Amino acid sequence: MILALSLGVAVLFGAGAYLMLKHDLIRLIIGMVLISNAANLFIMSAGLTNGAAPIYPLGDETTDPLVQAMTLTAIVISFAVTALVLSLAYRVYVSHLSVDIRELSRAEEMQADRDDEVGQPDPEKLGAPYTDAEGDRRTVAQPPNKEAQR
Amino acid sequence: MTTELYKVSARILLLPTLLVALGVMVKGYADPGDGFSAGVIAALAFALQLMVFGPGELDRLPLIRYVPYAVFLGLIISLLTAFVPSVMGQTLFTHWPPAGDSAPRFGTLEFITAVAFDVGVFLIVFGFGVGVLSSFARAEGRMRTSEERVARARAAEGEAGNTT
Amino acid sequence: MMELPLGILWFGAVIVAMLDGTRRRNAVLSIVILASALVSTLVLGADVYRNGTQEMVVGGWEQGVGISLRIDTLGIIFAVLSQAVLLAALVFETANGIKARIFPALVLFMGLGLTGVFFTGDAFNFYVFFEIAMISAYVLASYGETPRQFRSAFIFIVVNLLGSMLFLISIAALYHTTGRLDMVGIKAQVPLVAESPIVLISATIFVAFGVKLGLFPFHFWLPAVYTGTRASVVAILSGALANIGSYGLIRFGADVLPRELEFGAPVLLILGAVSIVYGGVQSISRHSANEVLAYSSIGQVGYIMVALAIGGEAGVFAAILYTVINGLNKALLFLAVSMRGWLVGTAFAIGAFSVAGVPPAAGFLGKLVLFQAAIEDGSWAIVVLVLLGGGLSFLYMFQLYRRRFWIAGEEEEESAHLPQVIVVGMAVGLLLIGLWPQPLLELADQAVLGIMGTDTAP
Repeated sequence: MILALSLGVAVLFGAGAYLMLKHDLIRLIIGMVLISNAANLFIMSAGLTNGAAPIYPLGDETTDPLVQAMTLTAIVISFAVTALVLSLAYRVYVSHLSVDIRELSRAEEMQADRDDEVGQPDPEKLGAPYTDAEGDRRTVAQPPNKEAQR
Repeated sequence: MTTELYKVSARILLLPTLLVALGVMVKGYADPGDGFSAGVIAALAFALQLMVFGPGELDRLPLIRYVPYAVFLGLIISLLTAFVPSVMGQTLFTHWPPAGDSAPRFGTLEFITAVAFDVGVFLIVFGFGVGVLSSFARAEGRMRTSEERVARARAAEGEAGNTT
Repeated sequence: MMELPLGILWFGAVIVAMLDGTRRRNAVLSIVILASALVSTLVLGADVYRNGTQEMVVGGWEQGVGISLRIDTLGIIFAVLSQAVLLAALVFETANGIKARIFPALVLFMGLGLTGVFFTGDAFNFYVFFEIAMISAYVLASYGETPRQFRSAFIFIVVNLLGSMLFLISIAALYHTTGRLDMVGIKAQVPLVAESPIVLISATIFVAFGVKLGLFPFHFWLPAVYTGTRASVVAILSGALANIGSYGLIRFGADVLPRELEFGAPVLLILGAVSIVYGGVQSISRHSANEVLAYSSIGQVGYIMVALAIGGEAGVFAAILYTVINGLNKALLFLAVSMRGWLVGTAFAIGAFSVAGVPPAAGFLGKLVLFQAAIEDGSWAIVVLVLLGGGLSFLYMFQLYRRRFWIAGEEEEESAHLPQVIVVGMAVGLLLIGLWPQPLLELADQAVLGIMGTDTAP
């Protein structure tokens, strides 16, 4: 049983870690979910004993209820985080029509270049707060029309 | 996907699912079940409506607009079960009635702190589930306009090839 | 009423979450809530200082069965620090105009999470409060909603979620090996069980908190996030949220697992030293203000690691002091660097001096205590390292000050008054700590006594 559980944790964690290396945000989020579930399974395995369900202890040996409570809490927390990250990914999709993280950074770079050349941030792609280019003052200064972005 | 059969059964299933959720919530003290699973079951009932009838459906159902506020109500109820005993000079989450005393009953339902807490948890989970679903569904409508907007902007820039 | 700060923050956060935070009235309400929580924490702190550690087991369960709240001086110091930084950032953002309706509620929820982390005596409860703080930080990181912020928020969430999962796994493993979840119980059980699993667990805990702190090999998320978000959010992340990392290392390292901390001291020392040098060198080579400060944070965290590696009472004492001063420094600098005007410039200079460790700013105190610990330990390499780090930080802070406040200025109008007042107030606070360090020293001393001494009640 221990072997099966540890194999399960390992496979879940490995698959999650593999997905997290992808550029696609959705895959990345699924990777996060898999890793959370690996952690939940690990908690369950931390207190694994053979016994009756710990609801009405009727004489027999019961399983450890504490790990189940912990797992439930951890599940709820990862549920909340997943919902949050999905909505964030959705916002990214709305503003970029893409959930590829390379697209996102390319949009950011294009934004920075445009700011540099023209000094006029594109109102469509809400601009970065400042550019990465050299040149003493402009780098740290807020763009003059920062308010116009929102 | 949206044949008449689906539509009818989705509608028929709505109220029984909510009843099951209620049952799971109040039975959770001697049998498996609690506020959390009840909240998930109840939210699933609305997820089914959303799947079958499309994104606009949740706004058409009565009172659904106010369900997300249940999160706050539930949080406050759960917090009260924690902090009311502390105001009365006991430790946080002290159980009422104290061990050994009998609880007031209504049929088989016992009124104890744990029930109040579970009602709070139910409201949080239910409100959260339905709130997330309905806000995603509502955003779907906004998405269309936004898609057009960005596509227009990209076409104007002459880099429409970037859209994946 | 030891749970009063938690109660105020929790109810307050729920109520403020229902209101529209962009309205000034609601923002002021949230400021009042946070301030009253701070006051109640201070009152509680005075009580803890006089009467020793307070403990309460939730639900009236027996000790070791129920979840326990355990408030000692260490927790009080960190809670006051975090709430003060949050309050400053909240007032700052209110004065500049809050853009998102959820912002004040998020700050309150983060205050709740942090206070809970510092007050809890239960390892799993620690994780739960920790996640409350982290989730608010995830949302705060995307506050502003530009592509850059979304990307940095994603990096932040992914990396920190991995860190949280590692922490969760290590708590489960601790429970498996010791059979306890309350920290006092774990501390008592650890010497009785096999050593090798505990070493592995300690390494995992160290990695988890190292990620939160932005220590050298786990730092890669930090510059992207700190440069991508708004000034007030960065101040919150670096001045309040990062405290979880150092608190966790002090609590789990020095308090619960002291033998393993000693065992891992060489690793901590090397990573700390690399952090100091890497952070300093990177800061010098950077141009944008937030990037310089972000790399500076990586360097400053190195000092805390070095202090913990020195170990013993002197080392932990130095780590506590350094964390407090570093949190205040970073909050002040990140707020000040986003503004203009000579007053802000002065405040920034005080913060810069504090980072570099020049008297009379408070940073001098931190460096001095670290020196003392190093000399007591007899390791001259650390003394040289601290001097080198101080020199580097003086260099990059001076560069930044020159670029930001000497050359620039004529075309940009001065910032609004209220934010300036906050920043100046923080700078005055730093000076005060530097000039009259006695209270802080005494508190830190008591905190060390509380976690290193055998008996908790003095």
